[in-house]
Amino acid sequence: MQSIISAKNVSMRFNLGIEKGYSLKQAFVDLITGKRRDKIDNDFWALTDVSFEVAPGEVIGFIGNNGAGKSTLLKVIAGVMNPTKGSVSVCGNICPMIELGAGFDMDLTADENIFLNGAIMGYSKDFISSKRDEIVEFSELSDFMSVPVKNFSSGMIARLAFSIATIVDPEILIVDEILSVGDYSFQQKSEEKMLSMIKGGTTVLFVSHSAASVKKICNRVIWLDHGHVIKDGDTSVCDEYVASFSV
Amino acid sequence: MKSVKNIAFALKTYGFLMQQLVGRDFKVKYKRNVLGIAWSLLYPVLLMGVMAIVFSRIFKINVPGVSYLVYLMTGLVYFNYFSEASSLAMGSVVVNFSLINKVYLPKYIFPLSKCIFVGINFLLTLIPLYAVIILTGTGLNWYHLLLPFSFFCLFLFTVGMGFVLSAVSVFLRDMFYIYGIVLTLWTYLTPIMYDINMMNPKFAAILKFNPLYQYINFARMIIIYRSCPSWLNFVASLGSALLVLLFGVFVFRRNQDKFIYYI
Repeated sequence: MQSIISAKNVSMRFNLGIEKGYSLKQAFVDLITGKRRDKIDNDFWALTDVSFEVAPGEVIGFIGNNGAGKSTLLKVIAGVMNPTKGSVSVCGNICPMIELGAGFDMDLTADENIFLNGAIMGYSKDFISSKRDEIVEFSELSDFMSVPVKNFSSGMIARLAFSIATIVDPEILIVDEILSVGDYSFQQKSEEKMLSMIKGGTTVLFVSHSAASVKKICNRVIWLDHGHVIKDGDTSVCDEYVASFSV
Repeated sequence: MKSVKNIAFALKTYGFLMQQLVGRDFKVKYKRNVLGIAWSLLYPVLLMGVMAIVFSRIFKINVPGVSYLVYLMTGLVYFNYFSEASSLAMGSVVVNFSLINKVYLPKYIFPLSKCIFVGINFLLTLIPLYAVIILTGTGLNWYHLLLPFSFFCLFLFTVGMGFVLSAVSVFLRDMFYIYGIVLTLWTYLTPIMYDINMMNPKFAAILKFNPLYQYINFARMIIIYRSCPSWLNFVASLGSALLVLLFGVFVFRRNQDKFIYYI
């Protein structure tokens, strides 16, 4: 079977010498002290030689400690970053679950945000119009559709974001620690929605720290540590990951 | 041919997103104002009123033989478009970082959507401009049909500048302050409230290299002097606009993949 995602020897380098908001002052200081910032050797390899193939319909969990490279890997797959070395090829449309509310404009109403967010994810106007009611119903926010999102609670924003993100059946769904949104009943509902999408054949890339939820949802697990793939296998990898802490 | 196909594809895919981004700016801008969109019409009129009083009454600047109000307002409408659109475009990539970091989007869409948004505002400001043209008795003529050419050049020039500024400001945040100063300087170096012929001829020759002067001059030739711009005006306008646009596209494309490490 042809793979839907194939990553070949992906390596990703960050230069930690790059300070956020590099300013004229620093450039000036560097000029005087004769320091060349980009020459400073503090490269950080977030991913080293990561290769894997994903078959359609697979549900892959990525586990690992903070800084293991999980989110970087997903960003490379989503096309947000280009890998320093290696290549990633994806055949199919990707739906990244945008970090809760990242695509929202707080001054717009919930209704306007549905269209804005849908457009950001690449859907057409007709498509969003036809799905609008379904989104409203799933989010349980029908009384608040004409309220600016800035007046929403964080749980309400999360519910709206989740409802928009999952309303289509994308071929590939990227989920980065999102299931813990909303109150208990919405968590149940979102988990059910995820499971039904998985049954429908969506390929899911799922990042989580919770070995239990990975075990519940995924049928394949990739364990990353410091940018390397430690193990790639079935859910028993979860147990090994958990066991690695008890030694 | 291939690039034409690519552009058509991008228009189809991202046209709706563009529409949403521009619409968002409109809603956010006017939602909380009592007068709403009427500000697009009132603001340039009031601004022109203030400047007209300051320059013609206090500094006694006058442009012989023409209505100073129309003269001033033509320059203001063009320059304000440029200054507002380029400033908004400059911050557009930095502001939308949370999106760029999560979803693949063509990054040029952010500065471009700002230039289009302010462009629609620009079209609205033509209403008070034409009101002043008619009320002052300056009158209309057939050459007015050539004006959209100068709008087009102004737009291309601004988009080019927006690309350069938005790319540079990702790497150098100081640009937000520097550009504020540059814009102020640029305001005075563009013959908005004075006539370039009042200047020392050597200095005036240098000022003519300012692309904004070309577009404003093109418009004044038609609106105020009721004459057809020469072919040189056409070439200078389109040439400067295309040059800056190509430069902007070049700078933006070379750097856009690096944005994500600097934001």
